[in-house]
Amino acid sequence: MKAIESIPDRKLLLFKSCMVGQEYPGVETATRYVFDRLGVDYCINDEQSCCTGIGHYTDVFEGLTTTAIAARNFAVARKCGYPNITCLCSTCYAINKEACELLNTNTEVRDKVNSIFIEKGFDDLVYEKGDMNPRTNFYHAVEILLSKVGKIQEEKKFDFSGIRAAAHHACHYYKVKYLDVVGNPENPQLIDTIAEACGASPVRWYEDRTLTCGMGFSQLHLNKSTSLQVTKTKLDSLQRAGVELMIHMCPNCHIQYDRYQPVIEKEFGVEYDMVHMNIAQFVALSLGADPYKVCGFQTHSVPLEGFLEKTGII
Amino acid sequence: MTDGTTDGLDKAAVFICHCSGNISEHVDIDAVKKTLKAEGISVFDYEYLCSSQGQSLIKNKILEGNLDRVVIGSCTPSKHGTLFKKCVQETGLNRGGLEIANLREQCAWVHPDRTGATEKALSLLRAKLKRLENIEPLEEIKVDIAQQALVIGGGIAGITAALNLADNGISTFLVEKDSSIGGQMAKIGKIFSPDKLAEECAMCSLSPLMNEVAAHPKISLLTWTEIESLSGSAGNFMVRLKKKPRYVKDSCTACGRCSRVCPVPVEDEFNCGYMDKKAISLRFSQSVPKIYCIDPDYCLQLNGEACGKCATACKTGAIDFSQKEEIIELNVGAVIVATGFEEYDVSQKPQYGYGIFENVLTQMELARIMGINGPTKGELLRISDFSKLSNAPKSATCTSGCESSSDHSSDNSSGAETPKRIVMIQCVGSRDEKEGGNRYCSRYCCMAALKHASLIKKKYPETEITICYIDVRAFGFYENYYRAVQETGVNFVRGRPAEVIEKPDKSLVVRVEDTLNQKIRELPADLVVLSAAMVPSPGTRKIASVLNLSQDESGFIKERHSKLKPVDSSLDGIFVCGTAQSPKDVTDAIAQAGLAAVRARAFITDSPKSLDNEIAAINQLLCTRCGECLKCPFNALSLNESGRVVLDPLICTGCGYCTELCKDGAVQVAGFTKSQLKAEIEGVLEEGDMLGFVNSGIASLTCDNIGNSVLTYPSNVKLIKVPTTLVVGRDLVLHAFKHGASSVLFVEDPPDSPRAEVIYPLTTSHFKKLKEELGDSGSRIYFKKTYVPNTKGLAGTFTSLAREGEMIK
Repeated sequence: MKAIESIPDRKLLLFKSCMVGQEYPGVETATRYVFDRLGVDYCINDEQSCCTGIGHYTDVFEGLTTTAIAARNFAVARKCGYPNITCLCSTCYAINKEACELLNTNTEVRDKVNSIFIEKGFDDLVYEKGDMNPRTNFYHAVEILLSKVGKIQEEKKFDFSGIRAAAHHACHYYKVKYLDVVGNPENPQLIDTIAEACGASPVRWYEDRTLTCGMGFSQLHLNKSTSLQVTKTKLDSLQRAGVELMIHMCPNCHIQYDRYQPVIEKEFGVEYDMVHMNIAQFVALSLGADPYKVCGFQTHSVPLEGFLEKTGII
Repeated sequence: MTDGTTDGLDKAAVFICHCSGNISEHVDIDAVKKTLKAEGISVFDYEYLCSSQGQSLIKNKILEGNLDRVVIGSCTPSKHGTLFKKCVQETGLNRGGLEIANLREQCAWVHPDRTGATEKALSLLRAKLKRLENIEPLEEIKVDIAQQALVIGGGIAGITAALNLADNGISTFLVEKDSSIGGQMAKIGKIFSPDKLAEECAMCSLSPLMNEVAAHPKISLLTWTEIESLSGSAGNFMVRLKKKPRYVKDSCTACGRCSRVCPVPVEDEFNCGYMDKKAISLRFSQSVPKIYCIDPDYCLQLNGEACGKCATACKTGAIDFSQKEEIIELNVGAVIVATGFEEYDVSQKPQYGYGIFENVLTQMELARIMGINGPTKGELLRISDFSKLSNAPKSATCTSGCESSSDHSSDNSSGAETPKRIVMIQCVGSRDEKEGGNRYCSRYCCMAALKHASLIKKKYPETEITICYIDVRAFGFYENYYRAVQETGVNFVRGRPAEVIEKPDKSLVVRVEDTLNQKIRELPADLVVLSAAMVPSPGTRKIASVLNLSQDESGFIKERHSKLKPVDSSLDGIFVCGTAQSPKDVTDAIAQAGLAAVRARAFITDSPKSLDNEIAAINQLLCTRCGECLKCPFNALSLNESGRVVLDPLICTGCGYCTELCKDGAVQVAGFTKSQLKAEIEGVLEEGDMLGFVNSGIASLTCDNIGNSVLTYPSNVKLIKVPTTLVVGRDLVLHAFKHGASSVLFVEDPPDSPRAEVIYPLTTSHFKKLKEELGDSGSRIYFKKTYVPNTKGLAGTFTSLAREGEMIK
């Protein structure tokens, strides 16, 4: 288990995510806004590349390429002096952590990756065993927020009292690396705890709480009906639980619920009352951020205006 | 007797045993005798020195020759050491004047070459003679043991232990934190019986035992009492107890009038939190002692309101609001810890809905519900229906006041339903490697689930019961019971359920993969019962820390040896039994409690206790009171009021760590002083020998075992027994090199017992430090950890090191 006290707030490389950047840039700006407000020491490095996760899970990139690219990104992090890779996306988190374990424990893979670097004259990218620690150099942004929960509570400008919120923790955070989760991996409470600090009333347990969002990378495209059926199952449960806000920590889940909720409503002839946002957007709102300039809600498919009006933000 | 100053060996004699050829066929005893006699030493030999004739020979020669020191060449001292010790002591000789040379396991049996074996035998005998030149008598250490025992915890294990102790004549205090003894077993309605394939009334077995405890003249029962602290050491523990006020005097007749008039209903912890109890109550109707007890948190009178209804109702004037907390101090010789378990907090598995859905409960709660003295008087009802009923204002009767109301069935006609479908989920919190779970099997839950399924099937045959299991562990004769339950039509699904879902009508659905056919199933249920893991009770955790006992990673109190010392805790004089030690059922708890009582009795009755005298001894003249030795890992050393370092002989294990810490040589282990070890080194070594310092425990047994296993090694391997290799400092190693050792090997015990777990890391770091200090010579010292069966490996090490030595020679 990851101890909350061990989560750093210094030397964080805020690892950009392609899904966040493309789909919900407001998640990144909201995270930066919150980090700035909380005094977190981080940097964003334009030399960093995609983690390849989407490509990897849709069978476009095989493991060695993914590992080599991860090794390159690790070198970027080390070189700029911000070795604590902090991800906005749970897939980036799991891919990087896994690649680091592989590079540390599998000599054959490490040698292959390094020989590619040397062959191409990128000696500065060479990865030596133990350059990164899979347990202490990789974090998800939500962990940083959790470690600052007291400060969030102190600094909050806007109180979400009475908002019935539900957390959707990401599989690639708490199922792939389940030994390294803050708290009980069968019942992660990171988002719930942070949301509560912002005044919301999280629904601590609901039916299908641990169900995946249904995206399944290629599954959304190859087995669309199954994929959407899974998403619908969880939306139905949340509807029954009277949830008005679903809070995410991974852009993949976020896309699946926010972009596809209207699709499901149309295809299955149902209606849902809930809106979606990332935990960083929620915290940013609570700290007084602008819903559009900082949180970027204009890029969402399920309109948030009703929610924002009801809560008095706009 | 010697005064320790006698020089020379004129009063010494050597006795050599032939061991019926075991020694004499490999060692030329005549040659040995001749050589030693030429040096002016009396030597005697006999076919079997361990026989009574052999012992008489030794005794006669000691008395005839007025001998003050004796060397016996025989089998390993771990075989007949005690016998020979007793033999020489009978002549009045101090046991410090006896040395035993191991001529069998470490000579005759391992060196097939007769010349080599004979030479080695001679060197072993010479070493022991040399050791005796400056004889250091060993003082007898004796302590008086307090002739009474304390049992902590009044569950079935504690009750059994206390009764066994008392029946064997030991005055016993039984301390229980609750207001009645009985523990968890009192909560269980029925217990299973594997031989009769039947369920028996738990209270019918337990109640007579509880009454026996109360009536036993040798048992002092202290309920509503907790342990505050424990000090002192084995044999003389000072225990401080806090007896909470009951506010009811012993003159209580348990008529129940007080409870009937009490206006404050409280949660009944005994009945899984149902509001069926009053602020003045008995824990349960068969409570022992049968004295009511007032809950100070809820009593109106004690919280400043004028009530006093109970006092008015009481005919015997037993209510006493002025009672105060009492501190009791006891001096006991031994302690038995029987503080038990609690159920794992199943709300840590929110996917099963405990605490969220009303109709999800634990096996223990189901046991309460089916118990005739439970909240529903034994009737199986849906909790959601029952809790609706119990919210209604109740008449002033309570469980304790209505023992006779067995005609209860008419009470629940108001729509409460008997569950038709019950699903039981096994291994909740057991066999679970996830964070918050426990890796171990809790041992009782398979049988508890089967028992409850069987009981329900008998009383409500229409009920459909499904048990979701990982494996059914019905060990031993319980398999018959498992079969019998299967035949009643209970369903079994092999799979660990993923989630429990509640429907709007409060019924439930259990989602599970049947792993035998890989199908996802949704099992409808009116009641879901979770078989929760057994975890150490808060009392067990508290006592372990108050008493400073070793615990395993889950918090259970660790036994000293799982096979050989299953009820000895890490501290002498403190024993453990029941579920405080590990998860187990009633049968096993009772068996273990009996053993704990026997062990505690043996400990107490061996008084005054002669202690192992090979423990640390402090030379106050040399001691500078620097305090270094207080780092003793067992806390055996302390400073007394006058600032002197004193040793607790009951705690000291004689490991010798303090001898390494003491820069002034003020601490030595008796029997293994520097001068004794130096003398032995000088006596035993020849040029080019390999010298082994062997821990007298497992390592020494392993060395003997090489001989038993008909393995061999060269005769230039010489072994010296030490309490642990911690006593072997730099000076001793240099001394060995000076006297011809080609290499020095440290043979240590593995960290397999609580004591060795402490000592082993010290020995490895001691060795490492020594190696560094020795510089170049450091390359000639070696370390080996050894297990008893590892004879081949150890003999191999001896051989290769000895060969190297021969090459140097």
